[in-house]
Amino acid sequence: MSSAVATAGLVAAPAYVPPSAQFRRRLLWLGGLVAFLVLGGIYLKFKPWMLFTDFHHLVRLGQEMIPPNVALLWNKPALFKTIGETVAMSFLGTLVGGAAAFALAFVASRNTTPHPVVRAITRLFFGLERATPNFVVLLILFIAFGYGPFAAMIALAIGSVGLFGKLFADAIEQVDPCPCESVASVGATRLQVIRYAIIPQVLPSVVANGFYAFDVNLRAAIALGVYGGGGIGFELQLAMKVLRYPDVLALILFIIVLITVMERVSDLIRRRMLSGSDSLR
Amino acid sequence: MLHVENLRKILPDGKVLLDGVSLRLERGEFVGVLGASGAGKSLTLRCILGLTKADGGSATLHSEACGGRTYDLLACKGREQRNCRRRMGVIFQGFNLVKRLRVIDNVMIGRLARIHPLRSWLYGFTDAEAVEALEALRRVKMDTYADRVTGSLSGGEMQRVAIARAIFQKPAIYLADEPIASLDPSNSLAIMKLLAPLARETPVIGVFHQPEMTARFCTRVVAIKKGRVVYDGDPRLSHDQLQEIYGDELMQVLRPPASEPSPAAHADVDDTDDVPLLAKLAA
Amino acid sequence: MPAAPSAPVPAPSARPPRLPRRLRRPLLTALILGALIVVSAHLCQVRLDDLPGNLAKGFEVLRFFFPPDWSSLRELAGPALVTLLLAALATPLGVILSLFFGLAGARNLAPNWLRTISRTLIGVERALPEIIVLLLLVAALGVGPFPGVIALAIGSVGMLGKLFADAIEEVDPKVLESVACVGATRWQVIRHAVLPEVMPAFLANAIFRFEVNIRASVLLGAVGAGGIGLELSKAMSLLEYERAMMAVLVTLLLVFGAERISDFLRAKVMDGGRLA
Repeated sequence: MSSAVATAGLVAAPAYVPPSAQFRRRLLWLGGLVAFLVLGGIYLKFKPWMLFTDFHHLVRLGQEMIPPNVALLWNKPALFKTIGETVAMSFLGTLVGGAAAFALAFVASRNTTPHPVVRAITRLFFGLERATPNFVVLLILFIAFGYGPFAAMIALAIGSVGLFGKLFADAIEQVDPCPCESVASVGATRLQVIRYAIIPQVLPSVVANGFYAFDVNLRAAIALGVYGGGGIGFELQLAMKVLRYPDVLALILFIIVLITVMERVSDLIRRRMLSGSDSLR
Repeated sequence: MLHVENLRKILPDGKVLLDGVSLRLERGEFVGVLGASGAGKSLTLRCILGLTKADGGSATLHSEACGGRTYDLLACKGREQRNCRRRMGVIFQGFNLVKRLRVIDNVMIGRLARIHPLRSWLYGFTDAEAVEALEALRRVKMDTYADRVTGSLSGGEMQRVAIARAIFQKPAIYLADEPIASLDPSNSLAIMKLLAPLARETPVIGVFHQPEMTARFCTRVVAIKKGRVVYDGDPRLSHDQLQEIYGDELMQVLRPPASEPSPAAHADVDDTDDVPLLAKLAA
Repeated sequence: MPAAPSAPVPAPSARPPRLPRRLRRPLLTALILGALIVVSAHLCQVRLDDLPGNLAKGFEVLRFFFPPDWSSLRELAGPALVTLLLAALATPLGVILSLFFGLAGARNLAPNWLRTISRTLIGVERALPEIIVLLLLVAALGVGPFPGVIALAIGSVGMLGKLFADAIEEVDPKVLESVACVGATRWQVIRHAVLPEVMPAFLANAIFRFEVNIRASVLLGAVGAGGIGLELSKAMSLLEYERAMMAVLVTLLLVFGAERISDFLRAKVMDGGRLA
């Protein structure tokens, strides 16, 4: 692509990409993207017009779902237990995974690791963890622990280790070295340096990331529930299977409310904790 | 050209911001508008541009350059307002350029009102327009910056690009809203030296805070105090007149900023200088 | 809470009420946390006594997964491509949708009622996991790539639409005003001032979303969108563990590959810095 063109007849010819070349370049990018999408769509047998030709199916589904059977809330007390299960899964998963990630993070950051090779291995482990979709982990855990929220909880914990191990390790690598040096100069051991110089510095970021992890895990817990992990996701999938669509819509509404409320609550607690983080230290 | 009669702006709580401002701008003029902070200088310009709705009075723009038409600046809306705005090149205090665009793209924005909206969305500008934009950049000595990202420029450079945009717009008049208020003295001087010759082709009306600058470059000065025009005439104001215009703010206006280079420092920018005027005024 | 006597000279150790107060908060936190853990553990049916046995069983099971069934690699290439394409199709679609939602959800461009509608829809989408959208679409339209792509696209709008709308609201209003002063129409202002300012960051986010969508499309595959996720869950339920392991390896390759591609594209977009 000819990029810089000198305008003729000038003393000091300034170089700039003229609009026509810019347009051609943009057109090329766009054309490439569109061609890729069309070819991909053909390969997938993706039929976008289905949205219009099969729209009546969507309408029918909508009609079957309305009115939502909100009565579930008082007719079926077990519902609260399933909601509790979902929240508990994500809470414990975040806690266990976060604790493990926190411990491993010290091994995985340059300034606290016992050996660079150990650091590289731990980092690789985090990378593998992050790349593995947590539902794959869940399928394997089902064999060991059987179906149910326990397996889902462990899958969430394992997933959290990968994601938050990296975040925590990065936070530890970014701490200000001065306090560490001053603590070390008093003659503190490596563990004491970590306790009195590094942990106070990274704690706010750990807390913030922990709450973020909880939000992510709550969504994931619902998804894992659909695969047999229990909780409200499983309940939803059951209702789907037996075609009780009013229940489905009610459950979806509950999920939306649950996620929105939990987001607000965790936001509130996080802000409280971070504002009073002095007492946390 | 630009005729503003009895312009009024009153806040909902009854506070009068503009109490019948009248001013004119004719061919070949470089009018400087002076006044204390909050006197209504910038507000007058905003009303003329239609950015703030005026509560009374009239403002018209008439020019042979726009086919002998007369535009009613206060009453227009929509397409007609865009037509009015197209005739007025505006230079702002904060430059207000699109920082992520290239310099030349920022200049070409000046032509947006002349090209079809569909073209501006789908194709953009033509190469011929780019060459013309480069011409405008050359006038402000910024042509070698054409391909730079605007956000990487300094304040003085950005203001030149903004002037290039206004030139490229080919307006009937230029409006400058405190164009040198956030620049250092040497850049201010450079910008004034760009505006003065520009005004000989297309009249310029500008709001300024430096009486010594308006005295040196403007052909006429209008002073606004508490929403009224209190002076209109010779740009060389006496100390008493300035005292009358600025009141308690006078010393702030006359005190040179701390960063001002010594006269020797900008002797190279300056051919002959009349800084003594300032000294005379302050004395 | 009895007010501590205010001493003019701070002498922390000499003030008796200070110690319990200092302890109270951590103690309370620990208590609440402990209670939450116990309740959650009960709800999750955690049985620690079975844990060692189960873990041993788990490692035993892991043995079945090795060696991976390399011969199935050829059969898995097709599904892997499907997973990739699902995400690749959904991301641009989601980007286009979020452009509309973003423009409609920005305070400085859209009227209030439109903004409220757009922001509410974005909020609902954010709270709705993709898998639920997919389940609904599958219930209505049957299994296939179409529900998968739509579910992923809608999921993308939840994140990208919000980011885009927030970014637009942060554009300096003076810049928009100055472009409008040239006589530009509202749409010209959007094209020549708003989009250039927000596009690079937005595209970087969109590319990141592509990465997320790859993971999600593996997940959605198992429920009916097809692709490697479906192969994996099929192999698991047929107890073909070596084949499942191969599918896991292919998934890892896919995700790592997507991460590399997205890093490359993101660097390119941010480096360009301008899209004119």
